[in-house]
Amino acid sequence: MELFTPDFGLVFWMFLAFIILFAILAKWGWPVILKNIDERADKIDKGVEYAQEARAQLDSARADAQKYIEEAQIKQAEMLRDAAKMKSQIIEEAKNEAAKEAQKVMDAAKVSIEQSRKEAELQFRNEVSKFSLEIAEKMVRNQLSNDKAQTELVNKMLDEIEKN
Amino acid sequence: MNRQRNIILTAILALVMLLPNFAKASGSNEEGGINVKEILFHHLGDGYGWEVPFSHTYRIPLPVIVRAEDGSWHCFSSARLTKHEEVVNPETGEIHTETIPEIVSIEKEKDGKKVTYQFVLAEFSKHKDKVVQLFPISDSEEAKVKSQAAAQEDKVVDGYVGVDGTYYREYKPYDISITKNVLALLIATVIVTAIAMSLVRYYRRKGDKAPRKGMGFWEMLIEFIYDGVIKSTLHDKAKKYASFLMTCFFFIFIMNLLGLIVIFPGGANLTGNIAITLVLAVMVFVVVNVNGTKHYWKEIFWPDVPLFLKFPIPIMQFIEIFGIFTKPAALCVRLFANMMGGHMIVITLTLIIFIFAMFGAAIAGASAVVSVLFSLFMLAIDVLVSFIQAYVFTLLATIFISMSDVDEHHELHKEAEIIDNIKEIR
Repeated sequence: MELFTPDFGLVFWMFLAFIILFAILAKWGWPVILKNIDERADKIDKGVEYAQEARAQLDSARADAQKYIEEAQIKQAEMLRDAAKMKSQIIEEAKNEAAKEAQKVMDAAKVSIEQSRKEAELQFRNEVSKFSLEIAEKMVRNQLSNDKAQTELVNKMLDEIEKN
Repeated sequence: MNRQRNIILTAILALVMLLPNFAKASGSNEEGGINVKEILFHHLGDGYGWEVPFSHTYRIPLPVIVRAEDGSWHCFSSARLTKHEEVVNPETGEIHTETIPEIVSIEKEKDGKKVTYQFVLAEFSKHKDKVVQLFPISDSEEAKVKSQAAAQEDKVVDGYVGVDGTYYREYKPYDISITKNVLALLIATVIVTAIAMSLVRYYRRKGDKAPRKGMGFWEMLIEFIYDGVIKSTLHDKAKKYASFLMTCFFFIFIMNLLGLIVIFPGGANLTGNIAITLVLAVMVFVVVNVNGTKHYWKEIFWPDVPLFLKFPIPIMQFIEIFGIFTKPAALCVRLFANMMGGHMIVITLTLIIFIFAMFGAAIAGASAVVSVLFSLFMLAIDVLVSFIQAYVFTLLATIFISMSDVDEHHELHKEAEIIDNIKEIR
C-alpha cells in the first residue's frame, strides 16, 4: 500500500518547506501581525473608554450648564427685583429730598417775604409817617394861621390817634 | 428571468443526456468496465506529472531529481518518462492514445569515462509508479527472472523491473523529485507566506486601520486561532508557541483547501498523504518534548499513582512513554485519514457514473445526476472538514504543548481547562 508508507522525497520536501515557512513567518510574519492586532485592540479599547469618558463629561457639562443657567436666571430675577426696589426707593428718596428742598425754599421764601413785608411795612410806615407829617405840616401851615383852629386840629388829631 | 432559467435548465438536461456517451467513451476502454481501485489510488497518490483537464495523455512536466546507485545526482523532465502511442481498437476501429513508460538514458562523464544512467517509471516492479534505475542483466539471469515472473500473478519479481517484456535489475534511487505533491506543497507554502506578508505589508502601510474583505477574513481567522485556541490554553506562554501553531494551522488549512480544487494549482491530495501529516506530527512531537518541563518528565517517570503501579514493574511508566508517541501519532493519522477519506468519497461518487455506464444510457444519465449532486454536497462538507481538521490539529497540538510546558502550581487549573476543551471538541 503506497498510501500508508511515507515517501522519502515528500517527507524531505515537506520538512524543508515547513522549516522555511516557519522560519520566515516566525521572524517577519506572525509576531508582527499579532502585535498589530493587539495594539489595535488596545487602541480601540482606549478609544471606547475615551468616548465613554467624553460622553460622561459631556453629560456632566450639560448638567453644569443647566445649573449655571438656572442660577443665572435666579440671579437675574433677584437683580430685577432689587433694581425695581431700588428704583422705587430712589424715587421715594428723590421725592422726599425734593419735598425737603421745596420746604426749605418755601421757608426761605416765607422768611424773605416776611422780611420784605416787614421792611415794606417799615418803609411804608416811614413813608406814611413822612407823608402824614408832610400833610400834617402843610395842613398845619394852612390852618395854623389862627390859633383856634390850631388847637382844634390838634385835638381832633389826637382823638383820631387815640381812636386808633 | 423565467426564460433564462428555462434555457439553463434545458442546457443542463441536454448535458445529462450526453453524459452516458462521454462515460462510454472514456470508461469502457477495457472489457468489463473500469478499474476502480486503480483510478482511486492514482488520484489519491502522487505522480511525476500534473494532470490537466480534458486530456488523458498530457501532463504538466515536472523535474525528476534522483540519486543514482553510484551517488551521482540526475535531474530530468518527467515528460521524458512516458511516450504516447496511438492504439487502434481492433473491434471498433477507434483510435485512442495510450501512455507507455519510456526508458530515460542519461550519459555523463565520470572519472574520464562515459557512463550511461538509465531510469524508468516502474510498472512491473515492487516500486510501481516510481522512478527506478535500470541495469541490464545477462540472458541466463533474465530467463530465470522471467520464469519467476510467469509464476506470479502480478509479474513482479523482487529486485527486478519489467519494461516492455524485458527484465532489468532495478535500484530504487533516493528520489527528491518535484512531484505533483511537492509542487502543491510549495504552492501552499507560497500562498501562506503571501497571506501573512500581505497583512504585514498592509499594517506597515496603513498602520492601525483594520483591513477589509479578503485580508479581513485572514485576520479574523488569525485572531480566532490565536485568541480562541492558543491564548485561551497557553495563557502567558501563548507568545512563545504562537508562531509554530499558527504556521501549522494555516499550512494545513491551505493544503486542505488546495486539495479540494480540482484543476491545476490544486487537486493534489496533500494532507491525505501520510508523509505530510507524519512530518507535521514529528514537528509537534519535537516541540512538545523539547519544551517539556521537569514536572512533565516527572509525571512520566514517577506519576502520582499508588506505588505498586510504578515500582517493581513500571506499568505506568510504560503507559506514559507509550503515550508520548501515541499523541502525535493520533494527530498524524487523524488528519491523514480524514482528508484521504473525503477525497476518496468524492472520487468514488464520481466513478459511480462510469461504473453505471455499463448498464446503458438511461441508468448512466440518472446516476450522473445523483453522483454530481452527491459529489457537490461532499465537496461542500469537505470545505468544512478542511477547516475543522486544521483547527483540531492546532487545538490538540496546543493542548499537548500546554501539558508538557507546565508549571506545578498551574497544573490543576490547566487540567480542568483541557478537559473542558476536549469536551468541546467532542
